[in-house]
Order: sequence, then C-alpha cells, then structure tokens
Amino acid sequence: MSKRHLCIAITGAGGAGVISCGELLLQAWAHEGGRGLLRKAYGPQIRGGESAALLKLTDDERYTAASHYDLVVALDWDNFSRFEDEIRLGPRSWVLCDEADELPASVLAARPTVLQLPFAELASTCHAEGRVNMLVLGVLGRLLGLPVGSMVELAAQKLARKPQAYRDAATACIEGGASRPMACDLPVPPTAATGACYMSGNQAAGLGALEAGIRFVAAYPITPASDVLEWMAGGLEQLGGQLLQAEDELAAINMAIGAAFGGVPAFTATSGPGLALMTESIGLAVASETPVTILNVMRGGPSTGIPTKSEQSDLNIALNGLHGDAPHLVLAPLDIADCVFTTGWAVQLAQQLQTAAIVLSDQFIGQSTAIVSEPRRYIPATAAPATPAEGAYLRYKLTSSGVSTLAAPGDAGHRFTADGLEHNENGTPSARQSDHQRQLAKRQDKLADFGFGDDWAQVNGSGPLALLCFGSSSAAVNEAADLLAERGSPARVISLRLLAPLQTAALRAAVEGCSAVVVVEQNHSGQLFRYLKGHADFPQAVHSYAMAGPVPLAPEAIAQAVTEMINP
Amino acid sequence: MSNTDTTAELANFLAHSLELESEARQRYDELAESMAGHRNLPVAEFFRRMAAEAEHHLQEVAELAGDTILPDLKAWEFDWPEAEAPETSSYEALHYRMSLFEAMQLALGNERAAERYYRGFADASDDATTVATATRFADEELGHAAELERMMTALPQQAAQLREEDDDPHMPE
Amino acid sequence: MTEAIKLKAKDYKSEVKPIWCPGCGHFSVLNAITKAMAGLGINKDNTVLVSGIGCSSRLPAYVDSYGFHGVHGRGLAIAQGLKVARPDLTVLALGGDGDGFSIGGNHFIHACRRNVNMTYIAMDNEVYGMTKGQASPTTPMDWDHSKLTPHGPGVRPFKPAALALASGAPWIARGYSGNPNQMAKLIAEAVAHPGFSFLHVMSQCITFCPEQTDWKAIVTEHEGPALANADEAAKVFLHEDGFQTGLLYCEPRPSWPPVSDKPVDGNALAGLAASFRV
Repeated sequence: MSKRHLCIAITGAGGAGVISCGELLLQAWAHEGGRGLLRKAYGPQIRGGESAALLKLTDDERYTAASHYDLVVALDWDNFSRFEDEIRLGPRSWVLCDEADELPASVLAARPTVLQLPFAELASTCHAEGRVNMLVLGVLGRLLGLPVGSMVELAAQKLARKPQAYRDAATACIEGGASRPMACDLPVPPTAATGACYMSGNQAAGLGALEAGIRFVAAYPITPASDVLEWMAGGLEQLGGQLLQAEDELAAINMAIGAAFGGVPAFTATSGPGLALMTESIGLAVASETPVTILNVMRGGPSTGIPTKSEQSDLNIALNGLHGDAPHLVLAPLDIADCVFTTGWAVQLAQQLQTAAIVLSDQFIGQSTAIVSEPRRYIPATAAPATPAEGAYLRYKLTSSGVSTLAAPGDAGHRFTADGLEHNENGTPSARQSDHQRQLAKRQDKLADFGFGDDWAQVNGSGPLALLCFGSSSAAVNEAADLLAERGSPARVISLRLLAPLQTAALRAAVEGCSAVVVVEQNHSGQLFRYLKGHADFPQAVHSYAMAGPVPLAPEAIAQAVTEMINP
Repeated sequence: MSNTDTTAELANFLAHSLELESEARQRYDELAESMAGHRNLPVAEFFRRMAAEAEHHLQEVAELAGDTILPDLKAWEFDWPEAEAPETSSYEALHYRMSLFEAMQLALGNERAAERYYRGFADASDDATTVATATRFADEELGHAAELERMMTALPQQAAQLREEDDDPHMPE
Repeated sequence: MTEAIKLKAKDYKSEVKPIWCPGCGHFSVLNAITKAMAGLGINKDNTVLVSGIGCSSRLPAYVDSYGFHGVHGRGLAIAQGLKVARPDLTVLALGGDGDGFSIGGNHFIHACRRNVNMTYIAMDNEVYGMTKGQASPTTPMDWDHSKLTPHGPGVRPFKPAALALASGAPWIARGYSGNPNQMAKLIAEAVAHPGFSFLHVMSQCITFCPEQTDWKAIVTEHEGPALANADEAAKVFLHEDGFQTGLLYCEPRPSWPPVSDKPVDGNALAGLAASFRV
C-alpha cells in the first residue's frame, strides 16, 4: 500500500501554543497547495492544560483521523499519557523533543527514532521573548519545504493584536527554526492542488446555514457547538440578521421557533445535553409546522459524557427523541466540506417542508480544521410560486403534497394561531379523531412523498459487500473499503446523508446484489444498525460494527472486523 | 350654561349611554355563549334575551343620537361609578351551574345599577334635554327591573346546592 | 380617499369561542386586550399574541390577530425570538402563573433582564386550572383545596412584581379581572412603553378558588405616579399585599437589541465564503 499521507502530532502543556503552531503549519501548507487536516485534543483545563495539534497532511481530501504518527513533537512530556490512546507510534516514527531523557514508557516501547533539540534554549537565543511553538513551526516548515516568508506572514496575521515585541519574537523564532536542518526523513505528500478553503466543520455548517437563508440564530453555549454560534454572530451582523443568546436550550429552540413563525429562517446549534432539552419544543415545531434547523454537534454521551470528544451516539434521540408521532428531518454531513452542503440543504428542506430539521454533525468534523476544495452547495430547484388559495385562509389546509401555505405576521388577511395542540385545518384546537388522523397523515406525507433526489447518500465503489454508515464515519469507512479491496474483498460504501425520512427504496436498491451488509458507526449500541434493521428490511445478512468514541474510528480496525464478519 | 356646553353635556351623556348598553349587550352575549357551552341552557337563553333587550336599547340611543357628534372615548375614558359600566354583569357573580333565579338576580342588579346611574346623571345635570333623556332611561330601567322581579316571584329561589356536583372537574391539558 | 374604519373591541375577537368557565377572570383579560387594541387602533395583521400552556394560554386563538400557542412555560422565549427577528410587529406574550413563574420562571427572569420591546401579561389565579386545581407558585401557603397538597403547599408564595423588579423589568403594573377598563388602559400603556412591560393580572378562578371573588373587596388602586426608583419599588413590592393595581413602577432603560449602526452588506455572503479561501 502506497503511503500518501504524513501524520504529525505536536503536544505540549501550559499555554505552549501547540494549537497555534499546528494551525499556522496547516495554513502555510494550504498556501503551497497541500491538503490536510488538523484535529485538536485537549485536557480538561480551560487554560494551561495539555493540548495536542494532530495534523494529517495528505494528497486527497479523505480526512480520517490518523491512527499512527510519523512524527511527534513534544514541547514537553507533562501529561502526555492523556493522549497515549490517540497518538500511536511505531519503529519508523520520529520523536522530536527537548527532554530526551524523560520519554514516557509508552513512547520508548514503540522504539521510535528520537531527535533531541533544545527548544527553549534556541528560542531564547532567537529572541529575548522567544517562544518554543514558533521555533517548532519553523523547524517543521523546513521539513515540509514551506517558505519561511509565508509562515512569518501567517503568524503576523494571527498575532496582529499582540504587542510588537511578541510578534517580533515569533518572526525571529520561525526564522531561527527554519534555519535548523533536521536529519529526519519524512514521507511528505505532493502538493499540487489549487482553489482550496481552510475551514472547520462548524464554520462550514454556519456558512451553509447563512447561505441557505438563516437570518436568526438563538444560541446557548455548549461544547463542541459554541464555535458555530460564535462564527455566525459576526456573519449575521453583516447580513442584518440577529443572534440572541438564550438563557438555556429550552429558550434557544423556542426563540428560533418564534423567529421562524415571524417568517425569518431560524437556526440553533447545540450538542447532546442541549438537544435533550430541546426535544419537547422540536415537537412543537413539527406539530405547528414551523420550520427550524437544529445543528447538533455530537459528543460522547450519555449525560455530560465526554464533551470534548466525538461520538455518533445522538442518532437515537435525533430520530426518536420527540414524543408522539412527530415526523421530522434528520441529516448528517459526511465530512467538513459537506457541512456546507448538508446544513444548507437541511435549512432549505425545513423551510420548504415546514418542519424541524436536525443536522447531526460531531466534534470530529465540527472542530477539526481542514484544507478542502471549494465546498459543493445545495442549489434548490426553482419552485413554482405558490398560487394564492381561494377562499378563507386555512393554515393547516390538507393538500396533495401535505404542505400548506405558510403565512407570516404582517401578511394581510392570513391571520391564524399556530398551535401545538392538535388542530383542524384552520388551526383551531381539536381532539377529534378525524382531525388528528388527517393532520398526522399530512405531516407524515409531506416528508414521505417528497422527492429528496440523489443526495440522500453518497455511494462509492462496488462489490458484493455493502458498508453502510452515516455522517462523519464516511471517510473511515471509505478508507476501510480501500483496504478491503486491496485484500480481495471489494465493497461498496453507502454513506447516509439523509437519515429521516429514510429513503428505504433507494437504500435497498443501493445494496442490491450484495451478499452482506455491514453497518459501521461510532457508538456503543449500534444505533444505526438497529434503525436500519427496523426500517430497511434488507434481504441480506446484516452485521454491526459499532465502536464508541472517544478515539476516532480506525479504518484498519473496521477492515479487520468486516473481514472476520464475512469470513467467519 | 352656554348652548355649546349643553350640547357637549348631552353628547357626553349619549356617549356614556351607548357604551353602557353596548357593554351590557356584549357581556350578556358572552355569558350566553359561555353558558350554552357549559350546557346551562335556560340561563344561556335568558342571557340571550337580555342581550337582545340591551341591543334594543342601544338602537334607541343610537337613533336618538342621530348625527350628533359624540366624544370619541377609549374604553378607560368613560366615567362610571364603579369599575365597569353599570349594566355590565360582573364576572364574580357567575357560575356555570347558576340557576335561572340567580341569573335574574344578577340581571336585576344590573338594571338597578343602570337606573341609579341614569337617575344620578339627571340629578347632576342642568341641561334640560339631558335631564329629560336620562330620566326617561332611568324609568325604563326601573320598568325592566320590575318586570324581572315579577318573573322571579314565579321561580324557586334555590341556589347554592345546585353548584355541588359528583364528578371532579376535567383536566383538558 | 378612504377613511380607515375604526375597529371596536369586539372586532378584535375571533370566531373561536373560549373554553373558560363562566365567571373566569380570563374573559376580562380578553376584553381588556381587545379594548386596548381598539383604543390603540392597532393593526391586526401586525400583532402577535404568544402563549404557553394553561387556561390563560388559550387566549391567542380568541383574538383576531396572529397567534402562537406554544408549549408549557416557553411563550416568553417564542415571543422574544419573534420580536427580535421582526421588530416591526407588536408582540404580546401571555400565560398563567404556573406557566410563567414555575415551569417558565427562568424565561421570566431573563425576559425582564433582556428588556426586549414587548409586553408580558401574566394572568395569575394562583392555581393550575387545566390539571384540576393544584397549587401554583403564587398559591397562599395554607390553601388546602388540592389533593396534591392536602395541607396547603406550605411554601411562601412567589412575588412576581418583586422578582420582575430584581430581574430588571423597567415597567411593572398590576391589573385585576374585576376592572377590565383599567386593565385595558394598562395594556395600551404597556404596548406603548418602549421596552419590556410586565403586567401582572389578578385573574380569578371561579372553579378552583371561589374564594377569590372576595378580591373585589381588597383590591386598591395605586395612587399617584408610578415609582421611578427601584429602591423604593423594592420596598413596596416586598411588603405589599399584592392587590395594589395600576402602573406601579416605570424606569425606562434602553431595550434590546440596540439598533445596529452597521450597514447591511448585500455582498456579505460572498465575503464570508471568500474569507475561507486560501
């Protein structure tokens, strides 16, 4: 197997600035036409705790988390053990550190080549206020063949608001580090691509939402979703929209519903605990047919769980968390760039179908930053303008599509009261069986009968084996399929983007001819597996590979497990 | 008192009379609907009749006012002896199982309050037309009251025990 | 040339008939709201009544305006989102004491604090009527009519005006269902107030608290101008009997959100997308 990527981990504690070092390195790499991913891992402290910048430089955009590192740069070894699960080394790995005599046992056991460099001493030689992270940036930049000027300029932009002496120190250290040759032979991937964007999944989702028309955001901070809301605040201000910081998630979802009722496309972002609080009111959006989009950036659960780590364990609540029969939309972006597309699509579906859309992103794609080609956008088909209805306005009028005309306050003569109580076509509360059944059917049919097109899933490859996944698992599963193909078991990969309503017919067609289906997901109980078993009724044998977080799904582990399943 | 003031006083009186009758009618309508919804049909029917009478009065006052330009008062700008217009049924007196006798008692109170109001207006006014009109209205209300009293003598006076019931209240939400 | 037809209070009522018990104070609030709307000559199409759940929260459907009958306790959140998104609308939130002070208590605090330009009418009958008469946050300690708390709630009742003041509400008034005309005036003033206005209405429950018919004898009208000083108002609100009606406190402060002086940029979307390009 030809190795086309280079994985570098930069770790350090106590405000050493490893994340900034990683960001600047990836940005400089992007300027050279490179592709790559930056994941961030943190200890529990708000300041001063250990952190790790986990870089994967590639020649394509299939951004799986690295499971094996070519180079670890340890600014110090304090609490390195916290990252041992994620930063795996081998005999061909390199370690660059200041304190070579303090190597943790797990690092020594992997027998890497250790290079010692007196970071602190060199940095202070470069500048009285010299900083180790900038020195390391220079060293790594040289290893990657990055122009010094580019790194200096990017650092200057990032540190624009810092004191002059601080910026001078950064420049001096980058230059000092870049003048330092290292005897370290790394498999640097080629850099030829152009036209790239540098973004996190959370930013991409925010962009997709704004481009799709969101002009109101209600926000309650929660890890790992807060940065979506923070990024959108600035954009909304420029666009003349509004962001309202709520007192809790109960308020946030209802504020969004209120704004949407006012005819302003509305959005909120949260994570598992917040989604749990919002579910009652998401049901209100469904029953009152008020469009709203909720981005749920999944983290380890249940309860407070593992807030800073990724997991795909909110599928159950997203699909089934609403009480009563409450059909709604559930979508999942497949990667960082796809956050633009899928979030934009979700917003437009919610608006068009007058319901709630839950978008299941996760910490991995949400908070990782990547260099991506210009993201695809969802372009809605131009809908025929709605013809004004004859006679009295009926907000919940039964129509062939199930979708009724949605008026907003200010529209003359269309006054109605939206209601979460079951209602008749007029919106008047009704507990009659006929009204209940008709309105239940209306709300279900408008989703079930809608033509969602080809974007319900991304289908790659072919073979007698089908690997099924959703959202951010897609990259790891596709890489696993490559491994399987190399080992003589070609597989097709179906990455679901639209989870509800499940496109059962299309899904069954996609696995047609396969002898086995393996459902792959990052959670403990096999939530997608159970959902598909319940709804898709595959004729093939269906297997489950469910692996909880916090460590990202590993393609090699998937490939091995699948091999064992199909060759028992 | 100048001629202009006289006209203003009459206009003010007519505005108050219109509001009084209009409020009475609307409240009786509201109560009739509400009682009908709660299956107290005799009382609903009675309130409907009282609404019709108030409407009849309202039309009379409107006719009398003709083209007179009346002051354009907001609901809270009228000058009433108590919180609401005198003939408007007070909510505190209501119960969905109130008897016809109790409903008539309520209406009787309204008629008497209206009579007192009109009589008081006449007493306080120096304007001959206002005095005459207010006195006539007061006499009419007195007549209604007498009619109600006559009807009430034919009814049993039972009341409170009717409000007792075996079932608990419902829990709609 | 057309002259706008002047609408009367009854023209602001919808065709939907209230489910409330005859004698319920909420009829009076409905009348007061429609009288205030008529008095203000308000445009029905630009007015929204938002509520939560409970007897009083049924009110929006009874008014011929736009309305939103939401879920329990969250009416204020819906109303604030709506008003912030659509500042051109007149927005009134309303609901009961359980909805506003118990399940929705946090939203009440923060709505007072946030000071969005809207009106909140809390229709307080000191009881949960829709669920068969349980004690609410404003029920007297010794009220023993509920099977749920057979010896009375045993907990001090909540003081809505004091909490509103402490949370930063700039306009606090109290009405009484026995006086819909005064209430109408207060609602008209509340709507005109350029910020969050809180109208606490003592609205009797004839079914579960028939003793509330005695309120008529104990309500008083606040004399003189509204207090304009929070320290003075705090003393009043902490020690009063809760039956003082009228505009009690008014100390205007800038409402939220502030009017942005940043121009709206038609090309902002392109700029935002471009900001990611390397």
